[in-house]
Amino acid sequence: MTMVEFFSFLPYGKYAFYVWLAYGVSALTIITLFATARRNHLNTLSSLSNKYSRIK
Amino acid sequence: MWKWIQRQASPKVFYQTCNRLVPWFFWPFITLLIVGLYWSLVISPADYQQGDGYRIIFIHVPSAILSMMVYAVMAIAGSIGLIWQIKMAEVVAKVSAPIGAGFTVIALATGAIWGKPMWGAWWVWDARLTSELVLLFLYLAYMSLNSAFDNPRTAAKSSSILAIVGLINLPIIHYSVKWWNTLHQGYSVGTGGIKDPNMQIALALMFVASILLYALLVSIKARTEVLIREQNSRWVEEEVRSLMS
Repeated sequence: MTMVEFFSFLPYGKYAFYVWLAYGVSALTIITLFATARRNHLNTLSSLSNKYSRIK
Repeated sequence: MWKWIQRQASPKVFYQTCNRLVPWFFWPFITLLIVGLYWSLVISPADYQQGDGYRIIFIHVPSAILSMMVYAVMAIAGSIGLIWQIKMAEVVAKVSAPIGAGFTVIALATGAIWGKPMWGAWWVWDARLTSELVLLFLYLAYMSLNSAFDNPRTAAKSSSILAIVGLINLPIIHYSVKWWNTLHQGYSVGTGGIKDPNMQIALALMFVASILLYALLVSIKARTEVLIREQNSRWVEEEVRSLMS
């Protein structure tokens, strides 16, 4: 059984595998962009906070 | 308006503007994304030739347009930084690169996924696909060059020159389907593009949502970059202390 046949129970039948894979890859990329931005912001705040507390 | 733009050259003002803009971009983005997805996946009818497989274009086309738009913004912001030495333009250029690369990855991946059932191949060395892949390499080269220098001004100067030179690739991507006999179909928007009003609305909603996503990510990432660059300023110290307390 191919992946296309396996996922054909989802909406869009024989195209379900391709449609949901495309939307899934896009969602994953966007989530990664958000997660990276947030992690960088928190890391920056933390390292700057440490720097300022050392100086004081 | 012009005065407002001029004031954004100040790192502190730019940081505060980004902070204020985040919710203004976030909520319209979420709303348009939900409505756009509903229109794309539920309301829009199946295509008479491609069936439901065509629904991939609702993410593929906006991502492909944004991949080029973001590159143009990056090159223009880089030019402003080079000519007028405006540091905040350098910040916009720098933070745009990974976002543009993300849009390019989405465009390439969704194009490949659409290509398999329609063409019978994940990838072909077609002019449109190859020039879009070159765009991804340009983004990666920009990011590598930008991170290769310790001094952010030197990094911005060198990478901006690369971004400006790479602009030549944008008309090649856009006109590739006209200049060469490509396997890639013609324009999806405008003359010869999609005709059904529901498909057009879905595409428009997803396109505006993509622009808002870009603006939102730039606002979020620019705040971090300004804090790093201006870490020796008194206002950054006060801002970090207030955020961490």
